[in-house]
Amino acid sequence: MPWNFERVAGPFRGATMGLAWDGSGMLFCAVDEERILRFDPETAAVEEFRKYTQRTGGIAWGPDNILFGSQEAGRRVIAFMPDGSARQTAYKIDGCFHNQPVDLVVDRSCCVWFCDPHSVRRPPGVFVFPPLPHASVLRLERTSHRQWSLQRVTYDTVAPRSLLLSADETVLYVAEGEVEQSGPRELRAYPIASDGSIGRFSILHSFGADYRGEHRGIVGMCLDSDGNIVACAGSRKSGPGPLVYVFTPSGAVLETHELPTDLPNRCAFGDANLGSLYVTSMDGCIYRGTNIGRRGHAAPFVRVSPQAV
Amino acid sequence: MDIDVIDPTFTRLVESRPPLDCIAQGISFGEGPVWDRREQCLYFVDIIGSRIWKYKPGIGREIVLEPTGHANGMTFDRDGRLTVAGWSGRSIWRIERDGAVITLVTHYQGKKINTPNDIVVHSSGAIYWTDSPNGLLFGGMVPDDAQQYIDEHGVYRLSPDGKDLRRVIDDDFYFNGIAFSPDESLLYVNNSADIQHIRVFDVHSDGSLGPGRLFYKPKRSEPGGVDGMKVDVEGNLYTTGPGGIHVLDPNGRLLGRLRVPAHCTNMTWGDEDWQSLYIATIHAVYRTRVKVPGVAVW
Repeated sequence: MPWNFERVAGPFRGATMGLAWDGSGMLFCAVDEERILRFDPETAAVEEFRKYTQRTGGIAWGPDNILFGSQEAGRRVIAFMPDGSARQTAYKIDGCFHNQPVDLVVDRSCCVWFCDPHSVRRPPGVFVFPPLPHASVLRLERTSHRQWSLQRVTYDTVAPRSLLLSADETVLYVAEGEVEQSGPRELRAYPIASDGSIGRFSILHSFGADYRGEHRGIVGMCLDSDGNIVACAGSRKSGPGPLVYVFTPSGAVLETHELPTDLPNRCAFGDANLGSLYVTSMDGCIYRGTNIGRRGHAAPFVRVSPQAV
Repeated sequence: MDIDVIDPTFTRLVESRPPLDCIAQGISFGEGPVWDRREQCLYFVDIIGSRIWKYKPGIGREIVLEPTGHANGMTFDRDGRLTVAGWSGRSIWRIERDGAVITLVTHYQGKKINTPNDIVVHSSGAIYWTDSPNGLLFGGMVPDDAQQYIDEHGVYRLSPDGKDLRRVIDDDFYFNGIAFSPDESLLYVNNSADIQHIRVFDVHSDGSLGPGRLFYKPKRSEPGGVDGMKVDVEGNLYTTGPGGIHVLDPNGRLLGRLRVPAHCTNMTWGDEDWQSLYIATIHAVYRTRVKVPGVAVW
């Protein structure tokens, strides 16, 4: 059954990213507007959730109604607190500043895993701190003194763009690679050991190239209630086009669904029982697929609204 | 140090090859230099290091305060109290003569201010400072609360009695350097964002300002930009800029450049004759000499 997507909001200036369901509305990032906005599916209204977000492109709920954001311009993972303040987390690893985070997830232990690629867009201000010599997945952990510390997770990525944890948090999925950067564009699965370290990765899916150019890989992912990986990828320039993919945990492609927009970015389940899929895009709009026959996985700290929308 | 002579009158202000002595290095973001006429020493900050340093010629340097909340611009008021643009501390504060630290301003109209950058004290005792949100963003200097609450970038004035706080300029972005003309009839304020310009404002008797006029816009051919500014007794304006320190006459005409081989952030006049120019850069502080004294700090 094809999924039918409709545009529900936008366009906003620049790309939309995000996303995070708050129980009754969908938060998304209007990156160039430096804002996090909230779409209310009941009224179709869009309201400002937070401004001056310093190019926050990835958001995820943590405990105590804290919304974590990956700030590309701020070069940090920030905690948007319920009182309206914004608290910085750890930004140094081995004494060096990390790069420019683009996506993140929060596990049930409240650790924040994030992609930390190099960016072509330099952070503002005097360039004092050079980027790391690597582009990895990093993990923020709380110390016993409630301070944040930073750990390196991957040692073999060159351009991690999006990440996801399996429902039991034993597998880390990483969307690796960007068009026009060296290296492949692929979906990887890393086993997570009980001490938080990861093992060697399996490639679940690899994106190719044709005479029109390299195929755009995955930019955003979420998990459905069956543990499948729902991912946004592709472009009209080359390859099969902009699609939503549904991968099994072993990488089999269960479904693909065409999107009405080029260059999709992130996706997340929302609405009643997490029964709709929202997609953001480089065109600055928000799209929603309803009656899709799948439900989202309720990741830690994600609120599920049982009421009909 | 090399100089660029744009106008022949520049050589009346500086020697053809002025000295450039490094007096401090190993800092991670030098800023806020100010000369203490009472103790004949230099104060400056290391923003990222969150320290205020004191340098005494012929003796050396020592830490005066740490942590500082990543303090930035500094000056002295008429009572000789070090008055500080708190940057990541999101406040204006000063050190009393007995060493006590007093907070003067943290909020404007009920909202937490952004990140005060540079600061001057008028002879009336009024404090003027620049305030932009950039300190909420720069790595290594970020405050505990990195949220911006005030939309406008601004220049603020705190009355001499400390009771009346007003925003006197809010029609531009990223206000940074700030300096009075010798007779305090003019206030120079720059914009350190991409637009990179210096404007000048008439200072009214009540402390308010007239409309801004474009004073100078440097060509951006080399690294560096407008940041700290100071004025000499003849009204020539010294400003950081691409390639070093740009020296402008009172009409905003570029006379020449001091080719400091580092990214300059701010400067201050110093020594007994006020003819030394102490220049803060990202990782070091330098001293050079000029022929015309600078405007003395209280």
